[in-house]
Amino acid sequence: MCPVLGHLDGRFESADAEAEHRIAVLYQEFGGPLLRHVRKSTGNDLQWAEDVVQETLVRAWRNSARLQWEPSLIWAWLLTVARRIVIDGRRRKSVRPQEVEPPEVDMMAVPDGSDRALSAMVVADALRSLSAEHREVIEQTYLRDRTISEAAEILGIPPGTVKSRLYYGIRALRELLRDKGVAG
Amino acid sequence: MHDGVAAYVLGVLDEEEHEAFERHLDTCERCQAELLELAELPDQLDELKNASSTSDDDPPMSMSR
Repeated sequence: MCPVLGHLDGRFESADAEAEHRIAVLYQEFGGPLLRHVRKSTGNDLQWAEDVVQETLVRAWRNSARLQWEPSLIWAWLLTVARRIVIDGRRRKSVRPQEVEPPEVDMMAVPDGSDRALSAMVVADALRSLSAEHREVIEQTYLRDRTISEAAEILGIPPGTVKSRLYYGIRALRELLRDKGVAG
Repeated sequence: MHDGVAAYVLGVLDEEEHEAFERHLDTCERCQAELLELAELPDQLDELKNASSTSDDDPPMSMSR
């Protein structure tokens, strides 16, 4: 039985009323944490973050079979749903001209004394410890808001290779960050 | 199929592939476990993205060693 929504079964007269209530329960369960999480990716744009949370929870409701998972897995899934909505939004909103490249990793971790800069530095260090191939696919995909296909074209290697390198690179990065005691 | 989990977590699959992977995830316990393990990693990479937005004006620097 669904750990989050199971107790609602059979209590509603109309499907609409039930749907409305289920979304309300999703908000209650995940809305707050999700909003706090998403705000970090929207540069503290609260309105945008609220829109992302709403769209995420509506999509979750439409895929209600996944809401039968255990809560930690639902949470992980919701983060991926929200992340894609943010990335899509950023691509649409992007005012930065395409030809301007973001700075390379060495640039990204200039310490300014804040915790955020410190953790950025730890992540940058871990990235630098990866093999060049692994680092490259992480930079050319996620760090530049590019899909596997786009990165494959730029790098001149097959998408399957990008995907596979990304997998091993991300696993290696995860191990490095765990060894350094970075929570996650 | 299993190696798609990293691209899935990072949100860098094309729409079609993303949906295909989600269907795979529904029945693959190994990928569900990896999704849990990797769930926070994009946030850690975001620290880099966010830090980079303050140094856009700096000249680019090669990261090759």
